[in-house]
Amino acid sequence: MNIRCAKPKDLMNMQHCNLLCLPENYQMKYYFYHGLSWPQLSYVAEDEKGNIVGYVLAKMEEDNEDLKHGHITSLAVKRSYRRLGLAQKLMDQASEAMVECFDAKYVSLHVRKSNRAALNLYKNALKFETVEIEPKYYADGEDAYSMRRDLSEFAKKLKARDAKGNEKIEE
Amino acid sequence: MPSSNPLPPKENALFKRILKCYEQKQYKNGLKFAKQILSNSKFTEHGETLAMKGLTLNCLGRKEEAYEYVRRGLRNDLRSHVCWHVYGLLQRSDKKYDEAIKCYRNALKWEKDNIQILRDLSLLQIQMRDLEGYRDTRYQLLMLRPTQRASWIGYAMSFHLLGDYKSALNILETFLDQQQKGNNYDYEHSELLLYQNMLIYESGELKRALIHLEKREDQILDKLTLKEILGELNLQLKQYEKAAKYFEELTRRNPENTSYYNKLIDAKELIKSEDIVQFYLVLADLYPKSNPPKRLPLNYAVGEQFKTLVDNYLRQGLRKGVPPLFVDLRSVYNDKNKIEIIEQFCCKIFPNEVNNGPKEPASALLWVYYYLAQHYDHLNQTEKALMYIDAALEHTPTLIELFVTKGRIYKHAGDPYEACKWLDEAQALDTADRYINSKCAKYMLRANKVKEAEEICAKFTREGVSAMENLNEMQCMWFQTECALAYQRLGKYGEALKKCHEVDRHFSEIIEDQFDFHTYCMRKMTLRSYVGLLRLEDVLRGHPFYFKAARCAIEVYLHLFDEPIKDENIEQELNIENLAPSELKKLRNKQRKARRKAEQESALAAQAQVKRDQYHKAKQQGDVETDTPHLDELVPEKLAKVEDPLEQAIKFLQPLQNLAQNRIETHLMAFEIYFKKEKLLLMLQSLKRAHKLDSNHPKLHSCLVRFHEFLSKNRSSLDPTITEVLEKEMVVLFKNKDAAQLNKDYLDTYCNSLEAVLEGAKMLYYLNSKLQSTALGLVTNLDNKYQDVNIRTCNNVLKSLKKGDFGQCDSEIDQFMLKCQTLFPHAVDFRSPNSMTPCESNHVPPDPENYSSN
Repeated sequence: MNIRCAKPKDLMNMQHCNLLCLPENYQMKYYFYHGLSWPQLSYVAEDEKGNIVGYVLAKMEEDNEDLKHGHITSLAVKRSYRRLGLAQKLMDQASEAMVECFDAKYVSLHVRKSNRAALNLYKNALKFETVEIEPKYYADGEDAYSMRRDLSEFAKKLKARDAKGNEKIEE
Repeated sequence: MPSSNPLPPKENALFKRILKCYEQKQYKNGLKFAKQILSNSKFTEHGETLAMKGLTLNCLGRKEEAYEYVRRGLRNDLRSHVCWHVYGLLQRSDKKYDEAIKCYRNALKWEKDNIQILRDLSLLQIQMRDLEGYRDTRYQLLMLRPTQRASWIGYAMSFHLLGDYKSALNILETFLDQQQKGNNYDYEHSELLLYQNMLIYESGELKRALIHLEKREDQILDKLTLKEILGELNLQLKQYEKAAKYFEELTRRNPENTSYYNKLIDAKELIKSEDIVQFYLVLADLYPKSNPPKRLPLNYAVGEQFKTLVDNYLRQGLRKGVPPLFVDLRSVYNDKNKIEIIEQFCCKIFPNEVNNGPKEPASALLWVYYYLAQHYDHLNQTEKALMYIDAALEHTPTLIELFVTKGRIYKHAGDPYEACKWLDEAQALDTADRYINSKCAKYMLRANKVKEAEEICAKFTREGVSAMENLNEMQCMWFQTECALAYQRLGKYGEALKKCHEVDRHFSEIIEDQFDFHTYCMRKMTLRSYVGLLRLEDVLRGHPFYFKAARCAIEVYLHLFDEPIKDENIEQELNIENLAPSELKKLRNKQRKARRKAEQESALAAQAQVKRDQYHKAKQQGDVETDTPHLDELVPEKLAKVEDPLEQAIKFLQPLQNLAQNRIETHLMAFEIYFKKEKLLLMLQSLKRAHKLDSNHPKLHSCLVRFHEFLSKNRSSLDPTITEVLEKEMVVLFKNKDAAQLNKDYLDTYCNSLEAVLEGAKMLYYLNSKLQSTALGLVTNLDNKYQDVNIRTCNNVLKSLKKGDFGQCDSEIDQFMLKCQTLFPHAVDFRSPNSMTPCESNHVPPDPENYSSN
């Protein structure tokens, strides 16, 4: 599996993956909107033939300058490609780009109350915290957990990694 | 130039309010003001007011009236730029872009420096890829607004798109030189520099591109792209040490990116497999959590080393229980030795260890069974695959993946009904997972159960609309294409075409989607991605989704050309003749029921239409802009009764000829269309293109023979200039052989391929029907001589026999099916209708005429 930043020509295949995996779907224009507004933030996982098996579609919320933050619009990994840790790896790459290009302080997302697997991933593996419950957030009336992950620690870790890396190169 | 009929101050003020209302989408108020002007007897025919009234009406969805008023306004004031501009906007909203461009040009004749009109014109020009026109308009915009950033960027981009890198770069440099120099670099600046670098790179000046970027490293926020380009440039300039440094950094940042490893291998100039394996092993220690350095060496290692590595790799996956383990390893299956090593490990070594010691967890046994089921399925060993999947199911009867795999085994073995049953069970075990739901729907469609598939999908589509409608709205192309194929197999050609057209419309819509981004990206400065979008849109219908739908549509149209839809009553009479009385009664009952159901459904659809209309009306009354033009409704019955099927087929073909010219099927389909149209030169063109791609392709061979035959029959009536062209090409295509010889040589050369022999045998009969028994013997005798006897090739033979490609041959068909049944006991296509196994209650009795496996 290969994980890389999404290009415009991946967007249609991301839509396909989304339609297979998730109940929340969007028309192509919305994918274009993401890819053309924040080209650094969305990532895909592909198999050897170049089929998209997972993706993260992400954006920035830029209305508040002080608390600029990223938002995960959609994250999916095909069921047949689970347990490879792809979701976490996709999220980490997207979060890094949010910090680097847009100086994001945190990243937010919504998750269905009933989606235990996703909730578990966000809480335990990715250190998201529940901020509030948004009643009837989804079209079918289900509530959403609104979650956040503070990115300041993550940003520090990245800096340390790069510093260490540069030393190694200079040695 | 001002209107030829200026309004006095009071009316002029009212007119300005109409414009304001239009901009603010207060259409009803706009109409009020228009009425105030027009009700004054002196101004009842005031052109600009009439035009604006029309434009406002258009926004309220009253298109016909809109055209009436705008045209009347224009007639009354042909020298008004407002009237022309309005007419252009109206046409634009109707997607008549060429017409709109003409209108804008007329408007500019009377007001050449109008910024708004120039902007509108430039948008249409870029949308239509009138790149020269776009450049000229952008020049005018730059002259009129030299202080605006977008003016410069737009003008530079117009040269970029024309491939004039030098001019593009000059303009960008001039613009950047004027910029205030500070140290406060923002995202937009960073993006602009990367765009500038893209220009230099594309101009081919790699050295200059490298220097450009190295000088501006600290001004660029997007460090990932920065390093990727720096690495790439150094690599291409053969500065390997520097390149390696960048790709090492990138690997550290994202050790899951396989291309970084490949570039590193290039940069380190590693060529020998052993060195590459060694390289990966070092990195595997460095990045213990990442997959590529563990997985990729398996592609290079051989023999003992492969054995050691794959042992370790499999062990980890089986211990942990990683469901995608098999799909992950599938690509090493092109090597027979590797398959054997894997088989040895999974069948013997590992199960022994699990059974004989505490070292491996007991659950590992489940995963090894699961792996082996997929392994044998891949190798077409159906019985072994079933044995292992059953063992796995016995071990853990609730694991969904096992049900999916069992279904897939049956699908590959040729039984879409049994496959569907297992997917249905999988779906029932986790109704909250849409992926399983989608897979189940797909399998249902493969079994031609469209209704059931739609019902399953409805569990995840929006309430209040039908699943079909919602999936169409969401541009769910896989579903629509699978539906089309199911309908095609079922002989419901109108329904199939409807689905194909729906997919085609998605592509049109996605091309429309560009529109807003022409201005948006200029503002956001995401120019590299914008260029990426433009380039994507230029080849959008090259996407495999389009190919699949277009192929289906073309096949259906070709079929409808051969067998136009007859009057329904006549068709029924024909079928009835061969039925026993009891069967006839059943059929009549079924038809009655179907009619009643259809009536109910159309009543429901009518109700839904009324509701939709009401909804739209409500929307309009709320003064919401409706700028999407109404598309003709796709009615299956009408589509099936198409008058010009070949012309319709060509519409689907043309994008393929431009964008899928590397697929031989494109040209073979083109040939079929033009053969039916008897368009000689176009047939020749298709054959030449196909010949270039694969001169020995079986299907191409039968096209060549038929073309040859067509020529010899029509030679006398041909235009001499055409004959001259043909003579030249025929030397290459036919090698100076006559049709019979050409066919004989082909049959001799490819005598061990059933696929090739099928085409050759078909032609044998085509050229001389006396050779029927020889031809039939060639394709129905499967004893050992063919290396490609499988479900697909045998099914193609069967279809061809049934289609009448070999004349009447009922007993041969029966015998052939019996033979295939022994070879492929699970495949339903080879079972005779009477020997069908009893079906589950929820299964529609399979009708062998109506399906084919994939």
